[in-house]
Amino acid sequence: MKQNLSRRDFLRAGALTLLGTAGVATITKVAGQAKASPLHQMGHGEDAMAMAVGEVDHQRNGFNPSEILTDFDYGMVSTLENGQTLREYVITAINKDIEVVPGIVFPAWVYNGRLPGPTIRCKEGDRIRIRFLNGSAHPHSMHFHGIHTAEMDGVPGTPGMIDPGESFTYEFDAEPFGLHLYHCHAAPLARHIAKGLYGAFIIDPNGGRPAVDQEFVMVMSGLDVDFDDENDFYAVNGIPFHYQLHPIQIGVGEKVRIYLVNILEFDLINSFHLHANFFNYYPTGTSLTPAEYTDNIMQTQAQRGILEFSYKYPGLYMFHAHNTEFAELGWTGFFEVVA
Amino acid sequence: MAEGTITPTEEKKWNWTRLVLLVLPIIILGVVIMVFLTTGGGLNLASPAPVEALTEERTILQPGEIEITVRNAGPEDLTIAQVIINDAVWPYTTSSGATIPRLRTTTIHLAYPWAYGEAYAIRVFSTNAIPFDFEIPVAFETPKADAKTFLSFTLIGLYVGVIPVYLGLIWFPALRWLGRRSMVFLLALTAGILVFLGLDTLAEAIEQASAIPGAFQGIGLIGIGVVSTFLLLDAITKQQIATARSEVSQRLSLAYMIAIGIGLHNLGEGLAIGAAYNVGEIALGAFLVVGFIIQNITEGLGIIAPVLRDRPGIRHLAILGFIGGAPAILGSWIGAFSPSPTLAVLFLAIGTGAVYEVVYEIAKLIRKDTAREAMPLTVFSGIVAGMLVLWVTGLLIK
Repeated sequence: MKQNLSRRDFLRAGALTLLGTAGVATITKVAGQAKASPLHQMGHGEDAMAMAVGEVDHQRNGFNPSEILTDFDYGMVSTLENGQTLREYVITAINKDIEVVPGIVFPAWVYNGRLPGPTIRCKEGDRIRIRFLNGSAHPHSMHFHGIHTAEMDGVPGTPGMIDPGESFTYEFDAEPFGLHLYHCHAAPLARHIAKGLYGAFIIDPNGGRPAVDQEFVMVMSGLDVDFDDENDFYAVNGIPFHYQLHPIQIGVGEKVRIYLVNILEFDLINSFHLHANFFNYYPTGTSLTPAEYTDNIMQTQAQRGILEFSYKYPGLYMFHAHNTEFAELGWTGFFEVVA
Repeated sequence: MAEGTITPTEEKKWNWTRLVLLVLPIIILGVVIMVFLTTGGGLNLASPAPVEALTEERTILQPGEIEITVRNAGPEDLTIAQVIINDAVWPYTTSSGATIPRLRTTTIHLAYPWAYGEAYAIRVFSTNAIPFDFEIPVAFETPKADAKTFLSFTLIGLYVGVIPVYLGLIWFPALRWLGRRSMVFLLALTAGILVFLGLDTLAEAIEQASAIPGAFQGIGLIGIGVVSTFLLLDAITKQQIATARSEVSQRLSLAYMIAIGIGLHNLGEGLAIGAAYNVGEIALGAFLVVGFIIQNITEGLGIIAPVLRDRPGIRHLAILGFIGGAPAILGSWIGAFSPSPTLAVLFLAIGTGAVYEVVYEIAKLIRKDTAREAMPLTVFSGIVAGMLVLWVTGLLIK
């Protein structure tokens, strides 16, 4: 596809220029091509736009945000004697150096070596059994948002607060249906969350949600790389600018569902704005009836919701936090809608 | 050895034992350094966090572009990871790779649509996640080194340096009729002016020193600049006086020394004005230029003070004025087109040393006059008046 090619060239040339290997001539030439393409949106004047230089080493990081997007962990499934579905998970907290921004390695604390942690997905009423191992140098826990007993809450003073080298099994019934999250609840809480101990927790309703063509999970967070309790970069699924460099591919007319979770520390709110489109919004996903039809929603920490939309026209469309500062510090991506 | 067992004849003799004794501490030092470098000498010398420093050398703004030259002032190589401008991660290129060796510079280039008159904060993240912040207080296009800007900076130097000094010299015929007491007052006034200028220059040097890389030891550099200039000018003066045929030519020499001292001060002043104007820190309004003229007119007065009783001739006066004033032009050129914080510190230190050497010379001259007739209040009031003149005219500039 010719149009597609020019877009790819544009992005690639952009990245190369950032690396200082491409000359001015290249980018002018490619920008010229890009302008001729209906896919290209930013052709006004210069193509100046916030972007990091280079790309992080996903291989060395051990995870890739492009894969995290659709990586739903249903656990090891079996059936209990009472007929209830049992889902078993093993989750380990470790200290891990992650290259979050090209050239900058963040000494993160993560679940199962990735940022964010695994997306735990189950059905309403399932029995969830999570064996949690603390392979880190600090006490950690898994605190789930949901309905469960106090013993399973993973907060200080409960058996679920785990010392280094120890383990624990959290067990509860999945309720209520909706989009939830889990995170470490060890003190100091802000630091434990900011360091990367969080993940999405999806409970599907009995009978499921209406079928869609593509489902994505997006966990919004910040990165305080110099530990001054202020975020230096912002991201969805761990790595700033990832979906700007690697647009998410969807087809024209395809039904898309996004599970959007905000775990941003230090800043009060986060937001999600979809370009050239509107979406149905289901706050916390606890209802099958949308609460709002909009193109911009805001979430405070631990707020989450489900977005449903489809694109009418092909093209390259931005999505980003409409806290524009966050957007230009990494929380920006593209949907590439192909005909 | 301290008991005085060495006689002068013994001292001159050289033998192997003495050579070994002389070299031995150096050899041991080498061994100690080796031990430290290889074993750490039992100390834990590894720092828990890397120590990095990055200082700004100069910033150039052109339409749609910002260039900032930075120097690695830390103990190790430093690698730039990302650049953030006004809370936006921005694509950048560097002139010589992202890794800067110790004490070397690189120029970061940003294609950024900046707007006239606005402020910009640039944050450079090193690969050790250490942020370095630089500021553009007022954005405007950096003057290019073309004929037009050269001319405008020449004019600035002319207004703040050359013209005031020559204006001061015009007083020469009128002041020639002064009596001895008035002459001493005038010399004391000059000394007061210079003491004030010296303090001003020194303060500027110390302020600038805080902005340069730690390894360049700004304060030490000031010490070297001040002391060496002072001693060098002192030596030159002594030599000139030794070879001078008369007291008249001695006084003329002193006038030249004062002109050199004031010239070096004006070089520093021009440097500061050029650099400040370049980054938009000062706007040279008409009022400010008038202030400089009023303040610097006293410098011309200071130059002619020692030769008032003589007839130095118009040629000497012209040269004296040129030496005292023209360096302001040179300074504004350097400050505008090739500002270097380290060089500025050195120039300012040299200016300080020169100014105080001149104060020392004037003090000697005053002492010669007051030896015949004591006039302590004249000296006191002259010096204080000189300082007050600059303080009051300074109110116009600062």
